[in-house]
Amino acid sequence: MGQIKTAVSLYSYQDEYVRGKMTLEDCIKELHGVQVKGVELLPDQMLHKAPFVADEDIKKWHATLGKYKIVPVCNDIFINTKLYNNRILTHDENLELLKNELRLAHKLGMCLVRLVSMTPTDIIEDALPLAEELNVAMALEVHAAMSFDIPQTKAFTDIMFKLESPYVGLVIDTGIFCRRFPRVAKEYFLQQGLTKELAEYIDKIYLEHECITSITIPETMPADLKRLIKSDLDELYVVLADGYENRPFNILDKYYPYIKHFHGKAYEMTEAGVEYSIDYKGLIDYLKHKNYDGYIATEYEGGRFALPGVNVDAVSQVRAQQKMFREYIS
Amino acid sequence: MFDNYVLLDKGFKNIEKNGKVIGYELQTFISYYRGIPLSMINTFEITVDGVKISHEKIKFSADGENFFTLDEMRTVTFYKWEYGQPGIIFVEQVGGLSAGKHEVELMESIRISYIPVPFIGRNTKILEIV
Repeated sequence: MGQIKTAVSLYSYQDEYVRGKMTLEDCIKELHGVQVKGVELLPDQMLHKAPFVADEDIKKWHATLGKYKIVPVCNDIFINTKLYNNRILTHDENLELLKNELRLAHKLGMCLVRLVSMTPTDIIEDALPLAEELNVAMALEVHAAMSFDIPQTKAFTDIMFKLESPYVGLVIDTGIFCRRFPRVAKEYFLQQGLTKELAEYIDKIYLEHECITSITIPETMPADLKRLIKSDLDELYVVLADGYENRPFNILDKYYPYIKHFHGKAYEMTEAGVEYSIDYKGLIDYLKHKNYDGYIATEYEGGRFALPGVNVDAVSQVRAQQKMFREYIS
Repeated sequence: MFDNYVLLDKGFKNIEKNGKVIGYELQTFISYYRGIPLSMINTFEITVDGVKISHEKIKFSADGENFFTLDEMRTVTFYKWEYGQPGIIFVEQVGGLSAGKHEVELMESIRISYIPVPFIGRNTKILEIV
């Protein structure tokens, strides 16, 4: 067996990209500079007109990967089911959108597409022949707040177990393994006026549960939490609070043969060189025990919690997480 | 959380056509992390110096060439508002805005397949017509 490989999702550099500090080529060059093997891309983010990307842009993509010796690993795709404001797309329309994405992934040299959580499951089986023909696997993202318990994910895993195809699997987002509530998220909202007692309440109950959705939704919210909500911002904080989960690693046991890829979330790499919330040592040990030899791709998301006047520094955060991965893997 | 992408410091200016000022423009990034077809934009709400702009006065262009009213935009699936590409909002107002500083508030609302409610970005800035 080989060992765990690392990649970086260019999602990590979204702030630098939107502000014109880094181009797509700069991002790939950065990966080369820090000895990263693979790249994950959101075509809707860094390629124009996706999924109908111009041939010259496809050519340039391959030339850039070749120049810096980076392997294309995973294409993160979205089915725009709400394309129109007066209806949800039909099965046939969604299927066509998925097929277009599979064709683009193939052109980009990707053998895997990440289907965003809540992707309609009724199109998977119908897209399978094309996925097989193009050698592109389809994997649903298991993401906090939309992980294994929700009906849409369960519907997908039921189909996955039924089909038993190497072209249908899962991408696990490690935000489901947050051992404590991300500090950067809390500080960002505190700075905007979040009620301090509410933040402390969430921190505390977070530690006591694998998932706090039942506590944060209005229908089942405990009265003592309700009393702490004093503003729209407080309400928003509670709505977003179940976007992190505290699951044991062995929740993956049942799904392990179908796991195609991991998103290695980074909210905050601390000065000690570890992620503040996620126990990566534990996760990598679990994966080593399973002989996992696929990729884990850095997905830095702390940038959205940058305090006013503070520049996002995804480059340093990604480097720190990759350094940590290398230490744990070797 | 993408509020910082709403309203750019550049591009706030009066627009002239055939020697007459017909309105003004402002620029913004999408308050999201990827590009989407224009039909997925629910609306823009603009308030300038405390006065809300009526929606039929607003046009949007993702490329600076093709402008659509908010009503027209509902069916525009061919053009995408790319991530990192400043979108241009035109407000029809004969004579435009006076030179000097103005308080501009912009709200963007888009529809995202995996989120049950509209995704909203909002920002207020003091911008200057020179």
